Amino acid sequence: MAEQKPKIILQTEGLPDQRSLKTYVEKASGYTAVRKVLGGMSREQVIEEVKQAGLRGRGGAGFLTGLKWSFVPKDITGPKYLICNNDESEPGTFKDRYICTVNPHQVVEGMIIAAYAIGANKGYIYTRWEFQEEISYLEAAIKEAYDAGFLGKNLFGSGFDFDLDHYTGAGAYICGEETGLISSLEGKKGQPKVKPPFPAVSGYLGRPTIVNNTETLANVPWIINNGAKAFRQFGTEKSPGTKLFSISGALNKPGVYEVPLGYPFASLLNIEAGGMQPGRTLKALIPGGASAPLLTPAECEGLTMDFEAMAQRNTMLGSGAVMVIDDRQSLAELLKVTIEFFAHESCGQCTPCREGTGWLNNIMDGIMDRSAKPENVERLRTVARNMGGKTICALSDACAMPVMSYVQKFSGELQAYLAAGSGGHSK
Amino acid sequence: MSVFSESLKAKIESFLTRYETRRSAILPVLHAIQDEHGWVSETQVEELHHKYGLDRVQVKEVITFYDIYKDHPVRKYQIRYCKNLTCHMLGAQDAICKIKEHIKALDAQLGEDGPFSLEEFPCLGKCDGAPVMLVNKERIEHATVDKIDSILSKYAPLPK
Repeated sequence: MAEQKPKIILQTEGLPDQRSLKTYVEKASGYTAVRKVLGGMSREQVIEEVKQAGLRGRGGAGFLTGLKWSFVPKDITGPKYLICNNDESEPGTFKDRYICTVNPHQVVEGMIIAAYAIGANKGYIYTRWEFQEEISYLEAAIKEAYDAGFLGKNLFGSGFDFDLDHYTGAGAYICGEETGLISSLEGKKGQPKVKPPFPAVSGYLGRPTIVNNTETLANVPWIINNGAKAFRQFGTEKSPGTKLFSISGALNKPGVYEVPLGYPFASLLNIEAGGMQPGRTLKALIPGGASAPLLTPAECEGLTMDFEAMAQRNTMLGSGAVMVIDDRQSLAELLKVTIEFFAHESCGQCTPCREGTGWLNNIMDGIMDRSAKPENVERLRTVARNMGGKTICALSDACAMPVMSYVQKFSGELQAYLAAGSGGHSK
Repeated sequence: MSVFSESLKAKIESFLTRYETRRSAILPVLHAIQDEHGWVSETQVEELHHKYGLDRVQVKEVITFYDIYKDHPVRKYQIRYCKNLTCHMLGAQDAICKIKEHIKALDAQLGEDGPFSLEEFPCLGKCDGAPVMLVNKERIEHATVDKIDSILSKYAPLPK
């Protein structure tokens, strides 16, 4: 089953010593792409290949990776930085964690190539603290790469130097936002910075910096080895390649699966994830992490897993975090969990977010203990509407969007919960 | 005499020169202190300020911003239980209630010296193992209510 699907990222999955340098080199053409790049490709050629491949950022925003790299000023002297965003903080997402478990060397190799393309000699992998085990895998991979001469000075005799270090976060969702991450790496509170200037021009310590998601970077060696055209055989016109989906909920086989973009949701659910647990049916779907508007079962009909199909349904693919909500769940409770999360994680810089998430949380408390008035359900939407597009980063929108979708699509259940508690209780 | 052990001093010093700026060392230094002591005390912050040039205001704002850092004594086993969406759907609340009961019973026996503390944590990033908890740095998956007694008894005797 697994061998019928292309593997770009999880090439070493299930092999003996899957995350070792030896396995990556022997079984997945490991470190051949970086030799090809440093052996004769120009920076522009590398960027062009990645642009042609149409690789889109896998962290959530889906921005074109090659284009992002091209924003780094070329003629500037002094240090530039490459950062791997391995913070993976969007609730429901656990695919970068899995990459670290299965194939961390492909991330390291992708970083060397990306660093060369943007002219950075120093890189960091920033991982959330909660991933203790995975941090040890990354540190081991970095050490193996140094010992093999794949990191450090004059790589493969090319004259290109690249040093890579690991940095551990400390429990803050907002550090997954690229400028919040940069603040954190600078030893500060993880508060996002006003853009522009974008990090490509002024990032870590005010220097040109590119922040790319772990999965994004892991795509790069494969693209260099096989070419943009081969990459485009998979996926859709606007979303080429494969994607790792983290699928969870009351399922028979929750987990991380690599499938081509545009893959049918029904197959992901029923084949990869083994279907819902016996006796449970689909009540709603969160297709792309806690900040994605949720979909009704009717909207899941014919749904494909790509950026375009999600946009058509006014939701988003995000980081590929698919959370399947079954019929035993109370949507009022899940909305409370969602709002409470964002209220906790708001960094507090911008008023619409700091106050808005707090107000939503207060209203929701009233719904949970059934002290709220019926019009307060609609009031959630009024507050949420005033939180979008008004802040430094997207956290405020990330809270507002799902709230509006719950109220729009399931206000009946929220009202029923408020009135009598007939909205169902999770068990 | 330093408030830090020799090995901790060596770690702190290595972090101070490892990054482009001294300030970037704040998070790693605090992690190292917590790995040894469990939390960061006022005295330690002062030592970082005076002996290692890490500004006390900058250090304190980091401690108070991030969930992982604690500015008060912690118990031997810190439980962090994930309460986010998937864990919630698969029974986190029942398990959390059970842990609370357990801690309450232990505290009734042992007072302030109880072995466990509980933090309902925003997200642990392991939804395919939901519901998930951490005991210090150890991750425990499928930590449903029926398994709580056996999980906790591995760390400390159950309440009588």
